Amino acid sequence: MSAQAGIERLRDGAVRRLAHDAGRFRVTVRLGHCSAAVGAGEVLRVFEEDLTDNCRLVQAGCDGACHAGPQVVITGPDGGSVLLSRVDPDTAIRIATILEGGQMPLRFSGDDPPSAEGQVRLVLDGCGDMDAEGIDEYLVSGGYGGLANALSRSPEEVTGTVRESGLRGRGGAYFPAAAKWEAARRAAEGPRHLVVNCEEGEPGLYKDRHLMEGVPHRIIEGALIAAYGAGAESICIYINAEADLSAARMERAISDAGDMDLIGPDVLGSGWSAQVEVRRGAGGYVCGEETTLLNTMEGRRREPRLRPPFPTEAGLSGRPTVINNAETLCNLPFILGRGPEAFSALGAEGAAGTKVLSLSGAVRRPGLIEVPFGTPLSDVIGGGGGGVRAGSAVTAVGVGGPSSGLIPPGALNIRVMPGSLHESGIILGAGGIVVLDESVPVAEAMRALAAYNADESCGKCTPCREGTPRMVEVIDRMAERGATRADAEELAYLAEVVGSASLCGLGQAAGGPVMSTLHFFGPELGLPGWRDGSLL
Amino acid sequence: MPKKGELEGARRQLRTELRGLFARERAQLLPALHHLQHSYGYLPDWAMEVVSWHLGVPASEVYGAATSYSELRTRQPGSRVVRVCTGLSCRVSGADTVLDAVTGRLGIRPGETADITVETTPCGFLCAAAPAIEVDGTWLGRATPERALREIGTHRGEGGG
Repeated sequence: MSAQAGIERLRDGAVRRLAHDAGRFRVTVRLGHCSAAVGAGEVLRVFEEDLTDNCRLVQAGCDGACHAGPQVVITGPDGGSVLLSRVDPDTAIRIATILEGGQMPLRFSGDDPPSAEGQVRLVLDGCGDMDAEGIDEYLVSGGYGGLANALSRSPEEVTGTVRESGLRGRGGAYFPAAAKWEAARRAAEGPRHLVVNCEEGEPGLYKDRHLMEGVPHRIIEGALIAAYGAGAESICIYINAEADLSAARMERAISDAGDMDLIGPDVLGSGWSAQVEVRRGAGGYVCGEETTLLNTMEGRRREPRLRPPFPTEAGLSGRPTVINNAETLCNLPFILGRGPEAFSALGAEGAAGTKVLSLSGAVRRPGLIEVPFGTPLSDVIGGGGGGVRAGSAVTAVGVGGPSSGLIPPGALNIRVMPGSLHESGIILGAGGIVVLDESVPVAEAMRALAAYNADESCGKCTPCREGTPRMVEVIDRMAERGATRADAEELAYLAEVVGSASLCGLGQAAGGPVMSTLHFFGPELGLPGWRDGSLL
Repeated sequence: MPKKGELEGARRQLRTELRGLFARERAQLLPALHHLQHSYGYLPDWAMEVVSWHLGVPASEVYGAATSYSELRTRQPGSRVVRVCTGLSCRVSGADTVLDAVTGRLGIRPGETADITVETTPCGFLCAAAPAIEVDGTWLGRATPERALREIGTHRGEGGG
């Protein structure tokens, strides 16, 4: 049987099973780790007890509008739907009562509606709507079609398609995805591994959790496509130690996919075999770094390895290993399903596709926002973010987390692009954006980022271990007795040494917060005249 | 730390558990350490030693790995654990007042224990539901000082912060 015939058979089955629910109300609770922390679990429990047989209760992930959670979507038998935000258990009881009478509830929330303005939802497509605890809705929406297409071609053709699409890794390094696969295939015959990096230990980031919680099958489909392209048959999904809901949804999805022969010895009847397992991390920013992640999986200390050899040559247990971020993989079903041109048509020159941004801080609508590359940061904050929250004045925006730095409100015309956004050390990273106001002064924000890097330094490389706390000492001295030009020069020197003499990305970028703040915020630090960037 | 006779029993029981759960290979070290933390709330020295025997990894290396991961505890926490996120998103949304309320009421500083252990954490990954606190393993978003005190059960109504 061909993979195409296999997927059609699965889809037919899913359509048949879902048809049983036609004529009922569909009550979707958007339960993610974010909404669970504000009561979505309690809302779900009310529905579990109170909904009558004319309703089907569905658990989806959060759609990214975390600010509106807990959200509930009611879809009537006629297909019309109502979105309710900030639902509490009392409201849930009212909804259940109204539905029992066969009526649709009206919108009665005071919170402003979530906005998809300016968003292009490719990775997040269906996230928040699709049943996250079952496979049928993903199959019916076309899911695993990209995998079927991939399996109908040779691994080399699949890799070629992905190369043509221009897909780069979304974990922060933006390395061309296809190049990694090719390197692994070239490296050696015999077992190869694919590791899905869902460590997501960077402060301010929560996108991978949303993907695992909302569209777990998209990650699995992407991982299967990548493994096929890279010639790997063992897939390991590495999930952050604390992301329990993510791990539970992924385990469930792996089990469902296995039941349908999407995972196993004969994937979709193609003869290709793939195994998938979940592994958990144990905390720490550096664990997301590729070689550190491998050490963690092998039961070693969390510290990076020397490169070369690169993981694609000698990774997990010494075998060629491709490590891809969850978001990267979520693009593959689209690329294999619609073709590389459809993907490269999105985004900007040299920056194909979209980026899922984790927006938080002093904005009206904190949450995930997926935009095409090339979108100015001001559009992200003012569009999907709903603008600055009432009573706040933006003082700085942190972009890219502790490996990047702070930019002033006047520089928000900077566009979302892979890699470097500004020569002072600002990078997009994995897409964390934190909007700051006067409640946290810029100097304190810089100190917090620098102190984080010092705390998280694993200690392997002396310049990072010794240099990052030294930077914090200088910052404290500046705060205590006023900043001098000599302080700034010392910081710049430390940043350069740590950056150039450290093994991993954490150390290499540890000076980012300090350098960008010195560049943009001289007056705020008590260093007039530094705004000209003469330090660079 | 269990007494001598109890320690033998605890070691024996843990050995049996590990045998059932984990293959004797180094890659099982992190899963085994997670198991200890779930069972005991932290990683007791004697239990890490049993893990070392089971996996055939030197105890020094078990300890080295255990102390290098931020989620693993090598010291016994208080009977309850409260963690307050002090990431930038949370601080912009009032985390400092939440932390002050909790530490003020308990009369301790972050990192200290007064039956309840209070810690800060650089991110709870609830940035879009800030500020966030974790009480006994359950995360709460959009926390307020009042809510935090209610959750830790030391809210005494009138008077005080």
